[in-house]
Amino acid sequence: MKKHLQEFLLNLGDYVVLLGETLAICFLGPFRGKGPKARHTATQMVAIGVDSIGIVCLVVFFVGLVIAMQTAYEMVKMGSEMYVGRVVGLTMLRELGPLIATIVLGGRSGAAIAAELGTMKVNEEIEALRIMGINPVRFLVAPRVLAFTLMTPVLAVIADYVGILGGLFLAIVNLHLSAHQYLDLMMQGMVVKDFVSGIAKSVVFGLLVGSIACHFGYRTEGGADAVGRATTMTVVTSIVMIILADAAMTAVLVYIL
Amino acid sequence: MTAAASHVPHIKVENLVRAFDGRKVLDGVGFEVSRGKTLVILGGSGCGKSTLLRHIIGSLKPDAGRIWLMGEEITGMPETQFAEVRKKFGMLFQGSALLNSMSVGENVALPLEEHTNLSPDIIEIMVKMKTSMVGLTGFENLMPSQISGGMKKRVALARAIAMDPEILFCDEPTAGLDPVMTAVVDVLINDLCKKLGMTAVVVTHDMASVYRIADQIVMLHKGKVVFQGTSAEIQACRDPLVMQFIKGEADGPISFKQSGDDYLKALMGEP
Repeated sequence: MKKHLQEFLLNLGDYVVLLGETLAICFLGPFRGKGPKARHTATQMVAIGVDSIGIVCLVVFFVGLVIAMQTAYEMVKMGSEMYVGRVVGLTMLRELGPLIATIVLGGRSGAAIAAELGTMKVNEEIEALRIMGINPVRFLVAPRVLAFTLMTPVLAVIADYVGILGGLFLAIVNLHLSAHQYLDLMMQGMVVKDFVSGIAKSVVFGLLVGSIACHFGYRTEGGADAVGRATTMTVVTSIVMIILADAAMTAVLVYIL
Repeated sequence: MTAAASHVPHIKVENLVRAFDGRKVLDGVGFEVSRGKTLVILGGSGCGKSTLLRHIIGSLKPDAGRIWLMGEEITGMPETQFAEVRKKFGMLFQGSALLNSMSVGENVALPLEEHTNLSPDIIEIMVKMKTSMVGLTGFENLMPSQISGGMKKRVALARAIAMDPEILFCDEPTAGLDPVMTAVVDVLINDLCKKLGMTAVVVTHDMASVYRIADQIVMLHKGKVVFQGTSAEIQACRDPLVMQFIKGEADGPISFKQSGDDYLKALMGEP
């Protein structure tokens, strides 16, 4: 028990130090000419975000469809099935768009980052960078965390749209509503805050997952088994932290702001 | 350079001590290397030679002792200042440590892109120069996974000399290579040091390499320096420890049993 607590605190300490250094490089670095390189960040934005668009769309389309099915099942009984769009829209925008997008990103790109950095650490590539006088945090970690933080909101917006489309698919095929009816009633129930709160969440989620993935990759010690452990820890910790952050942010957004 | 400056040793290590978990891995190691000379650090597996190298390049901190590189003391130097010293030396890693996500050319270009303001055209020319120096012209666009172990070593060497360093450190440059490639890498290190006037520190346990490249030899055993001298001197040395090592014999004072505990105690149990 004491050992686990010690390990957890060490982990947390390392994470805070790495996150601090990364944020300093991202926000203060550019003024000193030592920010993350635009070229590296762009490459990572493609690898982390653009390449994930397909899988995010696939998952979130069916999430939208399932929500529509589940709500229609109850709403048909009350004769209010035309409001399915409003339920799907609000759920996607406020909650599931950002959440599902980040979880898929964490499982795909987060795990990939942890495995990549972990392998680089084990192969002495990170040590080599340091000895060449290249700061590995600036060279490897900062572009990845920055790309993750920038791309998660983009994917969350795409997820919002595609999820709504999934609901629309059910509304047309099963409930015999027109696209106009579905979208019109949906828009009537929405305010800007619904959209903005979802995007604000996704920025925090992206920062969390990106930095957690880099942290576990960066502190890998040993061999292939350690890389595997880093990947597992990244996915598990990311999902737990996303849900915790979601609960905290929702409480603030709903009850305080 | 003034006459006085030329007498300052290029690398100086004084009474270096380092223990891991109470076990002394380096125990009072000291030596000096003059500019342009090649020092070979020799010793069996686990004698502390790689640990010594890691102290000299600043990736480990000693418990006691001092290290000077190019006349500057690096022990206790702040990280920002040491980053400048790092630009003046190159390191060839045992496993090459090329970045696998970048091509051969990009690997060699990396230090130039990060540390200089040269234009991409000039960097491209310099990469071609360095790769041709290690005999790998035309391989710039291949990925590290597409080339052999010997070629990776040579690419890593090209990367290590990309910034025209004053000192080149090599950790087991010929480990895992066939005898011909071993000779090729040795000749390359020799040539590069002569052409570029570099000081070299090479960690190895390959005696054929030692005779080919060493100006000066330091032999370690159990964290202590047991021999210091030239190739001719080590061959004439009558110390049984040194003789066993250079002849590669199984019987002798260097025991193959590596145990932290006393053998008898382990066998009989605690009294």
